[in-house]
Amino acid sequence: MMVLLLVLPLLGALLMLLWPKVAPLLTLLTAAVCSLVALQLVSRVSEQGSLQILLAGWPSGLAISLEANSLSSLLILLTTVLQLLVALYAVATYRRDKLGAGFWPLSSLLQLGLTALWLSRDLFNLYVCLELLGIAAVALVSLSGDKAIKPALNYLLLSLFGSLCYLLGVAMLYGAYGVLDISALALQWQANLLSSAALVLMTLGLMLKAALWPLHAWLPAAHAAAPAPVSALLSALVVKGPLFILCLLWLQLAATTQAQAMAPLFSFCGLAALLLGGIAALRTPLAKNMVAYSTVAQLGYATLALGLLLQFNQPLFAAALWLFVLAHALAKAACFLAIGEMTATLGGKRLNTLKGASQTMPLAMFAFAVAGGSLIGLPPSGGFLAKWALLQGLWLQGDQLLYLLAIVVVTLLSAAYVFRVVALAFDRAKPVKPDFAPHIVPQWLALLPALAVWAMTLYSEPLLRLLKQEGL
Amino acid sequence: MTELSMTELSPQLLLYIATAACLFAIGVYGFIVGPQTLRRILALNIISAGIFMLMVVLAYRGLANGQARASPDPVLHALILTGLVVAVSATAFALALLGRLKQTQASPEHQP
Repeated sequence: MMVLLLVLPLLGALLMLLWPKVAPLLTLLTAAVCSLVALQLVSRVSEQGSLQILLAGWPSGLAISLEANSLSSLLILLTTVLQLLVALYAVATYRRDKLGAGFWPLSSLLQLGLTALWLSRDLFNLYVCLELLGIAAVALVSLSGDKAIKPALNYLLLSLFGSLCYLLGVAMLYGAYGVLDISALALQWQANLLSSAALVLMTLGLMLKAALWPLHAWLPAAHAAAPAPVSALLSALVVKGPLFILCLLWLQLAATTQAQAMAPLFSFCGLAALLLGGIAALRTPLAKNMVAYSTVAQLGYATLALGLLLQFNQPLFAAALWLFVLAHALAKAACFLAIGEMTATLGGKRLNTLKGASQTMPLAMFAFAVAGGSLIGLPPSGGFLAKWALLQGLWLQGDQLLYLLAIVVVTLLSAAYVFRVVALAFDRAKPVKPDFAPHIVPQWLALLPALAVWAMTLYSEPLLRLLKQEGL
Repeated sequence: MTELSMTELSPQLLLYIATAACLFAIGVYGFIVGPQTLRRILALNIISAGIFMLMVVLAYRGLANGQARASPDPVLHALILTGLVVAVSATAFALALLGRLKQTQASPEHQP
């Protein structure tokens, strides 16, 4: 089943290169089939516990091993469903937005890279997945034409630099321990200078690739330059890949002393990202940049949760971390699709273009507001669930007033940048006229993930239970 | 697998490792300082050369002492091959993007 999830997008991408004419159809088909398989995988893993396979029947240690636990299977489901949704949006708009034929095979390769990343438990395979992901993502950014080449090139160089730092860490660890498999490595792990140096190098590389503060500077330019469906994929999924590896490293490999030493740093980076990313989102005049800065800020929650998890070892923080990842993925996909749809129809990149959008494009504006509600953490949305888990964990630790206060401040900040857009949209005095009659289907497609993130609360109990015990 | 920590490496291997570290450092310096994109791409290549050299040297752990395994570690060689393929394709992609960037800058409509 896991092999099918990997082979299908690869095969699909190759066929799309052979027959570009049926590429959209093939993308939809692969994404739909993969979503069904992923759904089956989730139900199977939740019944039988985690599954592991060794490729091609080689003995363990030599074979490439794939492992699906409940977290990986959930992330695969998220990836395939978002891929399907974005592909539908792209089919609905590609004539108008001149998306380019490259989108279809590249997005399938992106799906392949992400799925392989969620399943790998081997340091070097993770490196290969990272590179695949990075190159596919850069190629997707460069699709939107001449203006996107510069940010794409910058993104590529920084992403390569990040992966090389990670690779050096891998080489050092292999030199010292002679194994690459994470669980085997964890058994032999010793907290010494070499392993700390390797961990720091890998962490730096991954933070650069995941755009965690203070290494986030490339993200707003790259995500804002990409076409709307690509931005949705990048912000929702791609930055989460390196974050996943970061969590694997620190939660499974690092010794307690190393984790304790790093924890305050992660918490600090998280808070700084939330604060500075939020302020930048509030100040930028461009619509897509605002959503991209909001990604930087929201990634801060995940970093903060990781830091607190390492510091206090409280399962609620693990739940908070992954709930943030899931909720943010859905909400950000909705935001980017809605903003992309509105800026395309109203004809302008600046936030002022959205003036009166509640009148001219009520559906897309509703999608943005609903997704924004989850970004702020209004109940009952996925973002609220995550924030609640975080606050509950802090409360149980006791004496963490500073963190609680900081979370209140950054929540207000995120409310400010979401309401800035909503307020503009309700300014109906002189609404910006749409260039053409707004299309209905793409707006509904933008609304779907926004509704899904609110529907997460319906499954809050099984989700919380699952993520608390899994936590990686 | 024979267990060998870094301290048990022979002086010759240590020299190679120091060279690899120097290559890495030169690359990082070039990447951070270099204003031209081409120079930064080349710097990335120097960094990867440093890492691959480290891997090659590490494959000979234990051999230099005249004992342990009879052949160098094959896993590291496989890793280097994979890494080389990735590095070559990434460099090609970066150069292609750079070429397109130069083209768009040279075309008349983009000139101020």
